[in-house]
Amino acid sequence: MINDYVLPKTVEDALAALKQGNAKLIAGGTDLMLDLKSCKAAADTLVDINGIKELKGIKESDGNIIIGAGTTHQEVAESFLIQEKAVVLAKASGSVGSLQIRNTATVVGNIVNAQPAADAAVALVALGAEAEIVDKEGTIYQPVENLYAGLAKCKVDSSCQIITAVRFPALFSNQGSAYVRLAKRGALALPMLCVAVAASLKDGKIEWVRIVMAPVSTKPLRALEAEELLKDKEPSEEVILEASKKAAAMADPRDSKLRGSRAYRSSVLVNLVKRGITEAIKNARQ
Amino acid sequence: MKNYSVVGKRLPRYDGTQKAVGAPCFTSDVSLPGMLYAKVLRSPYPHARIVNIDTTKAEQLPGVAAVICHKNTTSKLFNTSATIVFTLPPLVPVKDQRIFDDVVRYVGDEVAAVAAETEEIAQEALKLIEVEYEQLPSVFDPKEANKEEAPDLQGPREHGKNLPGEKIHLELGDIQKGFEDADYIFEHEFKLPVQKQCQMETMAAVATIDADGKITVYSSTQTVHPSRAILADLFDVPYSKVRVLSPPFIGGGFGVRIGLSAKAEPIAIALAQKAKRPVKVVYDREEDFTSSDTRHSGYVYLKTGVKKDGTFTARMMKAVLNAGAYCSFSTETHGVLGCMGLSLYSCPNQYYDGIAVYTNTTPSGAMRGFGSPQASTAIEAQLDIIAEELGIDRREISKKNMMKVGGEWVLPYQCQSIALEECIDQGAAAIGWDKKGTFDNSGSVKRGIGMACGTHVSNAWPFCGDYSNAYVNIQQDGSVQIAVGSPEMGTGVQTTLSQMVSETLGVTMDKIEVTIADTESSPFEIGAHASRTCYVVGMAVTQAAAQVKKEALEFAAKLLAERESCIYCAQDVQDLDIVDNMIVSKSNPNKKISLREVTIQAQFKGEQFIGVAKVVPQNAPPWLAHFADVSVDTETGKVTVNKLVAAHDVGRAINPTIVEGQIEGGLAQGYGYALTEEILYDENGRQLNTGFHKYMLPTAVDLPELQAIIVESDEPTHPFNVKGVGETGLIATAAAIMNAVYDAIGVRFFEIPMTEEKIYMALQESLKSCE
Repeated sequence: MINDYVLPKTVEDALAALKQGNAKLIAGGTDLMLDLKSCKAAADTLVDINGIKELKGIKESDGNIIIGAGTTHQEVAESFLIQEKAVVLAKASGSVGSLQIRNTATVVGNIVNAQPAADAAVALVALGAEAEIVDKEGTIYQPVENLYAGLAKCKVDSSCQIITAVRFPALFSNQGSAYVRLAKRGALALPMLCVAVAASLKDGKIEWVRIVMAPVSTKPLRALEAEELLKDKEPSEEVILEASKKAAAMADPRDSKLRGSRAYRSSVLVNLVKRGITEAIKNARQ
Repeated sequence: MKNYSVVGKRLPRYDGTQKAVGAPCFTSDVSLPGMLYAKVLRSPYPHARIVNIDTTKAEQLPGVAAVICHKNTTSKLFNTSATIVFTLPPLVPVKDQRIFDDVVRYVGDEVAAVAAETEEIAQEALKLIEVEYEQLPSVFDPKEANKEEAPDLQGPREHGKNLPGEKIHLELGDIQKGFEDADYIFEHEFKLPVQKQCQMETMAAVATIDADGKITVYSSTQTVHPSRAILADLFDVPYSKVRVLSPPFIGGGFGVRIGLSAKAEPIAIALAQKAKRPVKVVYDREEDFTSSDTRHSGYVYLKTGVKKDGTFTARMMKAVLNAGAYCSFSTETHGVLGCMGLSLYSCPNQYYDGIAVYTNTTPSGAMRGFGSPQASTAIEAQLDIIAEELGIDRREISKKNMMKVGGEWVLPYQCQSIALEECIDQGAAAIGWDKKGTFDNSGSVKRGIGMACGTHVSNAWPFCGDYSNAYVNIQQDGSVQIAVGSPEMGTGVQTTLSQMVSETLGVTMDKIEVTIADTESSPFEIGAHASRTCYVVGMAVTQAAAQVKKEALEFAAKLLAERESCIYCAQDVQDLDIVDNMIVSKSNPNKKISLREVTIQAQFKGEQFIGVAKVVPQNAPPWLAHFADVSVDTETGKVTVNKLVAAHDVGRAINPTIVEGQIEGGLAQGYGYALTEEILYDENGRQLNTGFHKYMLPTAVDLPELQAIIVESDEPTHPFNVKGVGETGLIATAAAIMNAVYDAIGVRFFEIPMTEEKIYMALQESLKSCE
C-alpha cells in the first residue's frame, strides 16, 4: 500500500525522503507501477523525481553528452543532439514500447530496472556511458555496464542512492553508431534480439568498436573478442562477417516460446551484428 | 441496380459522437446504488477434481458480501453460447457447463467467486479460499484427445471419443470416381492456430434483482434475447422475468459473446441473489484471454483431384478442430468450415468429414469467420500449389472453378449472385499483379505477391434457427422510432438500419431514432452473429417501414379527400409518396402535406402508425478476393506486408464507409492470423499469451496500406441487395499472405502464423537441402 507520495525539489530532499520507511524512487513508473500492482515490488512511500529541475533535459558539455534522470525516451529520441552524435541511443529510445510509454518512461529507468535488453541501456553500453550516482557520501561515476548485479538487479540501491544522470562522449564526425532490433511487431514488443554498435574510424581503419548484444546474457553483453578482431582492420565484408560470427558465438540466448528459440536467436544474431557493424561504419563515414 | 437517395451514401455514424467524446456507454461504465464488485477464482490446473473447498475465511473478511462455489450454486447444466436458441431439431443443444463444477477442465476454469464492497477486497478474499485439488490426466491436442487411450473429459460421448456433438459429413457426387477422373491428385494437411477475438471491452455484466425476484442484467452480450433464454432457464424463472440489455453499446465482439459474456452474467446473478445487492463482474484482460472462447485451432486435410487444365474433379476435406474444455459452438464450427470450404468452387464430386474434440484448453467458440478462415487458409494455399504445378495463372484457376449462379453445391439454398470474377480482376489491378515475378530479388530482402479467395454467409439460415422481428413507429410529430434487439458492437447497425428505413419511408435521417438490444423494448431478435444484422434485421426494418408507410399514406389519402372535396379519394393512395418528410402526389407535386401534420391529425382520431415485421431470411453468399504484396527479410525471417487489397462482392453497400471499415478491420485480423497472432500453451496447460503484451496483435505501425474495394452485385434475396460483410474481411487474408511469401522466397508453409522464426528456420533448411 502506498501511504505517501513525495515530490522533492532537490536531490538532497529526495535522498532525505528515501530514508522514510520503505521508500522507492519513481520517475516514469512504467515498470514500477506494474511491479507494485503485481506484488513483485513493495513500497509504502514513492519519491517522485520529476519535480527536480536539475534532473531534466539533455545537454552537451566538454564533449560529453549528459542526460538527466528525469529525461524521457521520447525526449531523447527526438533530440537533434542525440540523433547527430549518438544515433544509436535515439533509435533505441525510439523503439521502447509505444509513444505513450516513451512519453513517461525514462532513459535512466532502463538502467535501474536492469533488464538485460532494455533498449536504451544496451545503446548506452555501446556508447561507453557512465552513470552519475549520488548518495549521502557524495557523487561517484560508474560505467553503465558495471552496474548489473544479476538478472534484473541493479547495483545502485534505490532506497538510498540516486542515479542523477548518465553521460557519454559525443561521437565525432569520424565515428558512428547503429541500433538493430528484431521484435515480433513494430511497437509494444520486447526485443527478441537487439544489437548496439559504436565505431570509430581512423585512416580508413577501425580505431575502436563497441558491440553490445541483448538479451543473450543477464546483462547487455559486450562482444569483446569481436571488438578486438576488428581493431585496426579495414572494415571489409569478410572481416565484419568473421567478427559477427565471433560475437554471436559469445551469446547465450534462452529458449523462449514467446521470444524465439535459442537456435533461432543464436543463428540470426550473426546477421543482426553484421548489420549493426556495417551501419555504424556507414554512419561514421557520413 | 436501382439508385437510391439515402441507401448507398457515406453518412456519419449514429454512435460516432458518443464514442468520440468518451461518453459512458459500455457495461463497465454501469454503476448502480449499493453495487458490489465481483472477482473470480480460477483453476491453476488443466484437469482436476475439487476434493475440498473451504470459503469460511473469505466470508469472514470485512467487506465481503457473498462467496459462491459449486456447493451453493445450481448444478444445472447450460451452454454459455446461444446454442439453445440456434439448434434446430432433430439436433439437440449440448449443455455441458455449470456455473461452478467440482471438476475443473482447463487452466482458468471457474472455481469460486466473491462479491465485496470493492474490487480490492474481492481480490483479497480470493486468496483466503482454500481449495484442495486432485489432479487428473489431461490432453491438449484434438487428435490425441480423439484416441481411445485419451482421458474422458466429459464422460463417455454418444458420437465418439471426446466429441461434444455430431460428426459432420457432407457428400456430393461420387468422390472415388472424381479421383479416378483426375489427371493429378494433391494431398496436404494444414495446421491452424488459436486466435483470440481481442475485442476492446472485456467480458462484463451487472446484475440487479428487484424485490419480486425479477432479474435485470446489463450485459456485453451480442444476443440479448438468446442470453435471456439461457439465464432464465439456468435460474429457473420465466423469460418475462429476466431483462437483458446493452448499456447502450458493446466494445466489440467478433463472436466471443454470441450467448453469454463467458460466465459474467450467471456469476453476477448468482452473487446478486445471495448478497441481495447489485453485482458487477468485469473480466480483466488476462481472464478474458484464459477464460473466454477463442477461435478453433486444429487441422484441415485436403485431397484434390484436377484435370490438366485445372478443372476440379474431386474435392475431399477433413477437419479435426480443438473444441477446448466445453462445447460452446463446437457442434457448428466444423459444419460451417465444411460447407463454406466446399462451396467456394464448383466440383461434381465432394466429400467432407469434420469433428471438434474436447481438450483441456480454453473453450473454442465463435470468432469472426466461424470456420471459413480455417477452410480458406488451407484451400487457397493448396490451390496456389496446384496452379503452380499445372502452370496455370493463379487468377485463372480460381475463375475456372468458381461457383456459378444456380450451380450445384452442398448448401441447401441457391447461389443467386456472384461477382467473384470482378473481385479477382479489380483486386489484381489494385495490387499490381503484373509485377508478380518481376521484382529484383537478388538481395537479402525478397518481394512477392499472392492472392486468395473466399466466401461466407449472410446469416445462419437454414443451419441454425435464424429470424428477426422489428418494430417501426411514426411518432405523433412525424419522427420515427425503430426498435430492434440487435446490439451496436461497433458495426454501425443503427446507422445502416436507419438508412434503410429512411429510404423506404421517406423520412429524413435526423428524425429517426433506433432503440437497440433490450429484451423489453423490442420483439425477439436472434442477435448479432453470422454477418446477419444488415441482411436480416435490414429486411425486417424495411418491411416494417413499408407497412407503416402504407398506414400513413392511407390515412393521408382519407384526410386529403375530406379536405379537398375528393380531388384525392381513398383509392388514390397509390398516387401518394413520402419524400423528405412530406406526403406528395406523384401526379401533381404541388399537392403536398407534411407527415407531421398528418400524424397530428391522426392523433386526434386515436390512430397510430405502427409497423411490426417478422422475417425468416433466405441466405446469400458474399464473395471475396484478397491480394497481398510482401517483402521477406531472409536474414531474419521477418515479413513486411507492403499492401493488402480486398475486393468484396457485398451485394450493395448501404453505407460504403462502414463496409470499408469492416473489410479493413478484417484485413488487420487476417494479417495477425497469418503472421503474429497465436495462443500457445506450456506443458502444464497454461496459456503463454495472456495479455496484449504477449499476444501479438498487429499495431498501427505494422499494418500496411489496406485497400477495400466494394464490388456490387444484384442479390435478389434482399430488398436492398445486401449481403453479409461483417466477417468476410479476414477469410482469405492469411492465405493471400502465405501465397505472397511463397512467391517471394519459394518456400511453402503448412502452418500459421508464419513467424519470423518459422520462416528463417525453413529457409535455413532449404539452403541445407540445396547444398
